[in-house]
Amino acid sequence: MPEIKHKAFLFDATRCIDCRACMVACSVENKIPMNKTRIWVAGIGLKGEFPNLERDTMVYHCMHCNEPDCLSACPVGAYSKRADGPVLYDSKKCIGCRYCMNACPFGVPHFDWDNGLVDGAFIDKCTLCTQRIDIGLEPACVATCPSGALMFGEREDLLSYAHDRLAAQPARYVNHVYGETENGGASYFILSHVPFKDLGLPELPSSPVKDVSEKIMRFTLPSAVGLGVVLTGLAAGVHVINQKKAAAKMVEAAGSPTEEEK
Amino acid sequence: MKLQILIHPRFRLKPLVLILLALMGIAFIIAMVRYASGIGSISNLNNSYPWGFWVSFDLYTGIAISSGAFIITALVYILELEQFRPLVRPTLLTGLLGYIMEVIALLVDLGHPERIWHYFIYQNFTSFLLVIGLYVMAYSAIMTLEFAPAIFERLNRKKLAGSIRRFMKPLVILGAVISTLHQGALGALLLIQPVKLYPIWWTPLLPVLFFISALAIGLAMILFESTLSSRYFEHRLEIHLLEKLSRSIPPVLGVYLAARFGQLAFSGNLKYLFAGGILSLLFWAEILLGAALPLVLFSIKKVRQSPSGLFLGAIAVLLGMILNRFNVSWFAVLHSDPLTYLPAFMGIVKYFPSLPEVLLSVGIFSAGILAFGLAVKYLPVFDAEEHREEG
Repeated sequence: MPEIKHKAFLFDATRCIDCRACMVACSVENKIPMNKTRIWVAGIGLKGEFPNLERDTMVYHCMHCNEPDCLSACPVGAYSKRADGPVLYDSKKCIGCRYCMNACPFGVPHFDWDNGLVDGAFIDKCTLCTQRIDIGLEPACVATCPSGALMFGEREDLLSYAHDRLAAQPARYVNHVYGETENGGASYFILSHVPFKDLGLPELPSSPVKDVSEKIMRFTLPSAVGLGVVLTGLAAGVHVINQKKAAAKMVEAAGSPTEEEK
Repeated sequence: MKLQILIHPRFRLKPLVLILLALMGIAFIIAMVRYASGIGSISNLNNSYPWGFWVSFDLYTGIAISSGAFIITALVYILELEQFRPLVRPTLLTGLLGYIMEVIALLVDLGHPERIWHYFIYQNFTSFLLVIGLYVMAYSAIMTLEFAPAIFERLNRKKLAGSIRRFMKPLVILGAVISTLHQGALGALLLIQPVKLYPIWWTPLLPVLFFISALAIGLAMILFESTLSSRYFEHRLEIHLLEKLSRSIPPVLGVYLAARFGQLAFSGNLKYLFAGGILSLLFWAEILLGAALPLVLFSIKKVRQSPSGLFLGAIAVLLGMILNRFNVSWFAVLHSDPLTYLPAFMGIVKYFPSLPEVLLSVGIFSAGILAFGLAVKYLPVFDAEEHREEG
């Protein structure tokens, strides 16, 4: 995989204390109304028996994929991928078809189900706090995280840092950086002590889910032209044969009486 | 031998019209509520299931049952099988209304229906939803043109009708190309969900399978619609034509079954056919009802020659294949779901359509049936002039 120089997150599930300050910080920074959120803290519930209880949490927002499926799926090109990482959504182009929500394997884009035509129903998702990172600040969620569970930095730096952590404490972690290869590589890395599936993360191959769709799309124009040529040829051929038949019949009818006439 | 049967209607039409009008009124009110206070206010669609009943019924079913139009126009204008000409106009009408109903449904389902023109200025050509939208617009226009002679004949504008007829052949070829791509693209629309769509249904062959099954659905729809309308509009049932048409259904279904099982065997997914619980059951239901049973039925000459045989066989194809469309676009789409762990206010994660959601589609469908009835009453649909001239 070619080296990609852009920003990324690192989330360490073993460090998360489920305070949900990241949710609050995100909503305040991005002026998200109370009935919505761009970031979720997934609580997986209690495990074990008292007094040996364990409770796992997962901070979940847009993975900012290197090859975004939402971008591929959007019919009106409302999505874009900025060179320094963020996958962005343009509400001015959006027609509200919600195909991006089907395409995203992580279920990230959310829709305004309760807005009519006047308020406007749009998609909402994490923007990687572009207004902050453009002036050299960390995204709001990272800046506010009290336990160091969320980190922000250059993708390659964070990746090697994550692998250093895995190497230093192999007993503490599942030996994999989720997001390094998943779905063609994402910009949100996850370290965990429980299987990633338990955190609600899908098992994904290293090729983005849009791959087959985009490959098949390339057949569109050739099949259109091919089919057009075949059908035109067929129509012309049938027409010529039918005309010849009709002419032959005419000659036959003029020459000698046919069997039917007898 | 030309066998023509006249079947008398069982029901009076008037109460039916009133019921249809009432259903349309209900749907109109539901649509107004949706425009005022959002899709969430009338449907059970949610962030886990952004698409549901409307997509399965209005988009996938509506377009599939419209495919008869390109089949019959191709038979008559490309293969010059003049005998099928009496079926052209009713089938075109069905197709055109199917597309119009789908567009109306889309205007409710889209978050921003007023921005539909964005399809022309912001085009992203990696998106199958873009090309599907363009196909819908293009093919609706083509079908309107193909059907226009009927309207001009009624208005006594024979010259206009004639000038369109002169361009019929290229129009039909263009329509057949676009319609074929459209049916395939509906299958390709689901390719982007390899991890969400159950492996029985997800395959790169989806567009091909969709096209083949659209052929079967289109043929079955012609049989179904001809039988019904001969009953309600009291015109003669062209059973010799329908018999001939139905002969082509078994080979189409045979190819479909071979492609379907061949693909499953090749990809090593045969194991899911018995392991998926309710999803395996749904697969067998669509295969047995929509392909295997009608394959047998339409291979029997006696069935093909009886009106009720044709009707029942067509219903089997339609029910089974529509179940297939529901399966791929709804039942078998398993959204991987981070939302399961959400704080409670983010809400529902399961999906079943709400009553207003279903009633909206029912209302639009009622409008389609009513429009068909009106068109048959006021336009030369069943007794086309060109047909009469040839005697």
